[in-house]
Amino acid sequence: MKSLSFFIILFSFLGWGIVSSKDILAERNYIEEEVPDGGNVVGNVKYMGDLAMLKLDLYGGWELTDTSKNASEKLIASRINNGLKYAVISITNIAKGKKRLIPKTHPIIDQQRSNFIPHVIAILAGTTIDILNGDEELHTVHTRTIKNQPFNLGTTYKQRISGKFDYPEIVKLSCDIHKYAYAWIVILDNPYFDITDRNGYFEICDIPAGTYKLNVWHEELGNIEKEVTVYPKKITNIEFVYSQN
Amino acid sequence: MKPKVLLDKVGLWSATVVASTALILGVAPMTAKAVNVPTEVTEDGKNTYKKYCSPCHGEEGKGDGPLARSMLPKPRDFTRGAYKFRTTPSGSLPTDEDIFRTISYGVPNSTMIPWDILTEQQRASVIPVLKSFSEAFGVRKPESPVGVGLEIRPTERTIAEGKKLYEEKLECWKCHGVEGRGDGPSAAEQEDDFGFPIKPFDFTTGKFKGGNSDRDVYLRFTTGLNGTPMPSFAKELTDEQRWCLTHYVMSLIKPEETCK
Repeated sequence: MKSLSFFIILFSFLGWGIVSSKDILAERNYIEEEVPDGGNVVGNVKYMGDLAMLKLDLYGGWELTDTSKNASEKLIASRINNGLKYAVISITNIAKGKKRLIPKTHPIIDQQRSNFIPHVIAILAGTTIDILNGDEELHTVHTRTIKNQPFNLGTTYKQRISGKFDYPEIVKLSCDIHKYAYAWIVILDNPYFDITDRNGYFEICDIPAGTYKLNVWHEELGNIEKEVTVYPKKITNIEFVYSQN
Repeated sequence: MKPKVLLDKVGLWSATVVASTALILGVAPMTAKAVNVPTEVTEDGKNTYKKYCSPCHGEEGKGDGPLARSMLPKPRDFTRGAYKFRTTPSGSLPTDEDIFRTISYGVPNSTMIPWDILTEQQRASVIPVLKSFSEAFGVRKPESPVGVGLEIRPTERTIAEGKKLYEEKLECWKCHGVEGRGDGPSAAEQEDDFGFPIKPFDFTTGKFKGGNSDRDVYLRFTTGLNGTPMPSFAKELTDEQRWCLTHYVMSLIKPEETCK
């Protein structure tokens, strides 16, 4: 009798798992296939605003709390080529393409000196993120989401918290005790995305030939959309420019 | 057996039975399990919501009814599916019983009154209407309620341990203040998920929003308050530590302040 009930419980769990995973898959209409002769898109995102304003020290050496001493990571642009850091580039209207590889080692967001590192992270839907606390004081990790399961947890030194994100959304992760600290988690539907490096460069590989819409998202400057045509086994160059206003 | 003794015995037994039935009936209907919560939005539920809830919570559940402007804390915006008082883990949606409980008991220190002027059936009929405002209920399911472990008796030791947690480990005083008056250094800058300013709770008043029993206060540490800066400490503290913190927080109540 005991074993019977055990099996009933086991099968009901399995059934639930299948049903719930189907629900998630039904939401995405993305077909996975091999892409033997895909093309690449390489490009640069630029910010043409006044770079001197970014590094201006408004406080002039006044004594401040640790969080505000750190330079804000809201808008970081390179002085050499005006390249914009932490912009997320993604293809929005792709129906089929390379496999959705969800990383087995969880991406990490660390809290050090009350700041989140890295400031922006882009992940595939279904990925689990680990959030650490490297400070010897209490932090909270607070997300405000509707479709994904939101959470608001207190963490102390060396605590590790995992959060899974199943639906495409742009999530702001913040600490309520240190109001300056926040990070962005950009959850995307397909594997064709990248995040710009400190010189504003990005690269998206193995795209099946065709014409696609490329979207750039930046927390402060907003969205830009452009069309790009990809040819098989060729590299396409593209440039996105945010003007000052 | 003499008839008088028999009468006494039967009388005693029947009195016991009557009293216990009355007790069970008196206690049981306060949970939604005894009341039938409809699964679909009913006409009755819509009418009840429109008449009693929408003046504050708004016709579409956005918390923007005509009376909402003069209120702080603001009436709940149901579109996010963020409910403060739950028995489910942090971030999860509430169970039907949780919503029913909040409607029945109200929220002290706010403009939400206990809606016991409505019948239980009316209160239950509103629940599917509230759920229909948020798309979250279509995507996620409420998780199973957290277990409340064996309750520990408040002693000097548990209160001292709770004080240590309050002041050193969790630094609750940063928002709630050293004396628990809600006047900590970070108190002024707190805001809720909807962008409205929110005050950390003043423990000295003793009017806890989610209920005044030890169990209720324990649940607030375990589940957190969705939509507010108050986090959950379910992963951070052990079961016993949460009871200690509960006892310390309850010891901060000042009886002379509760009359105000």
